[in-house]
Amino acid sequence: MIEIINVSKWFGQLKVLDNVNETINKGQVVVICGPSGSGKSTLLKSLNGLEPFQEGDIRVDGISLKDPKTNFIKLRQKMGMVFQRFELYPHIKVIENITIAPIKVLNKPKAKADKKAMELLERVGIPEQAEKYPGNLSGGQQQRVAIARALAMEPDIMLFDEPTSALDPEMIKEVLDVMVDLAKSGMTMAVVTHEMGFAKEVADEIIFMDEGRIIERGTDRSFFENPESERAKEFLRKILI
Amino acid sequence: MNFEWQVISNNLFFLMGGLVTTFELALIAIAGGLTLGILVGMGRLSTIKFIYYPATLFVNLMRTQPLILVIFWFYFLMPLILGRPIGGFTSAVIAFTIFEASYFAEIIRAGIQSISKGQIDAAYSTGFTYWQAMRYFIIPQALKNMMPSLITQAVVVFQDTSLAYVIGLREFLRSANVVDAREMRSVELYLFVGLVYFIVCFSMSQVCKKLELKKGNA
Repeated sequence: MIEIINVSKWFGQLKVLDNVNETINKGQVVVICGPSGSGKSTLLKSLNGLEPFQEGDIRVDGISLKDPKTNFIKLRQKMGMVFQRFELYPHIKVIENITIAPIKVLNKPKAKADKKAMELLERVGIPEQAEKYPGNLSGGQQQRVAIARALAMEPDIMLFDEPTSALDPEMIKEVLDVMVDLAKSGMTMAVVTHEMGFAKEVADEIIFMDEGRIIERGTDRSFFENPESERAKEFLRKILI
Repeated sequence: MNFEWQVISNNLFFLMGGLVTTFELALIAIAGGLTLGILVGMGRLSTIKFIYYPATLFVNLMRTQPLILVIFWFYFLMPLILGRPIGGFTSAVIAFTIFEASYFAEIIRAGIQSISKGQIDAAYSTGFTYWQAMRYFIIPQALKNMMPSLITQAVVVFQDTSLAYVIGLREFLRSANVVDAREMRSVELYLFVGLVYFIVCFSMSQVCKKLELKKGNA
């Protein structure tokens, strides 16, 4: 479904992605972890064209991101994204945050979009917040709205960029629960996170990145029980105190 | 010193005619300047060189010229370019719109920059185009942040229109000047003109203050 082929990217002189190769199949959940500055968020954002890259190619359902004819607008409609800082639109209500893309991008009738949005809010457990503004919600609630907003476009793939890093500890679980639920429903997911509990529970593959390279990959068991690289061992020691 | 305030009431109709012209000029200049300013302000943030450089050149050129000179330019240059005379009002409208656009553009640029890049990423990630993202998410939020600066600039535009006096446009100040030439009552007339400018501008800045307070509460 997603093929990442020899992708390299530079910010000026700094090489932030170094010859990355990876395949994400339909229904798979891939967790990307690694120290900060390792390129994991950049890799995730390059999957839907938010970050351009200089070398290599990424194919989504066979469509090359390097092909100048590729329509990114169409491509992104099939790839939902959830951000570290939620990025809800603060000037419109929660329900409008969810319905605006289906209405304006997909030309869905408002009544239908509203109905779908309420179902999604139900699914993430906060239907009572529909008429509020994002600023009046807790961080965990905002992130759940952000997930509902992405799901409203009925994407085939969901990308999560450190979805729980900006949350207070007591709110992390409510967001992870929604994500676990989504993974179990068969959604294809690429998740940048340090939540190893989540990785253990649902990841089909875990990628460990450092300095722009994938230096270790494995299924949950192989990765957690005996990582091969020193760097991964050290990283796991630090986050699994 | 004795004042003869009847000079105002005797010529009130004529003076109000000038005030109407001032309002017309200011409103068209604000609407036109803001519209053009939004486009130029976005151009100043463009990554496309063909858009960025002309927009930047335009802003820097206009903001380094005295307004009165720009008014002259358009008054004397436009007929040469068009090959026929244009009225004082039309030339003033063009001069003000273009000049004020450069000031509005910088307010807009700063306003757009005040919105986090994550907002546009979020819009892109659900399939919005650049223009849609601007229209539905970035500009509405930016406008809210910019409101106080925009109103302040609108007050400045309103005052600036008095400079159209130099090309003989009969706006508010010029009307008072015309009456003065006939009646020789400078003090009364110019005090009255000052009072009217004060009332209009002060009430606009009060609105601005209210908006700022509201923003603070939100």
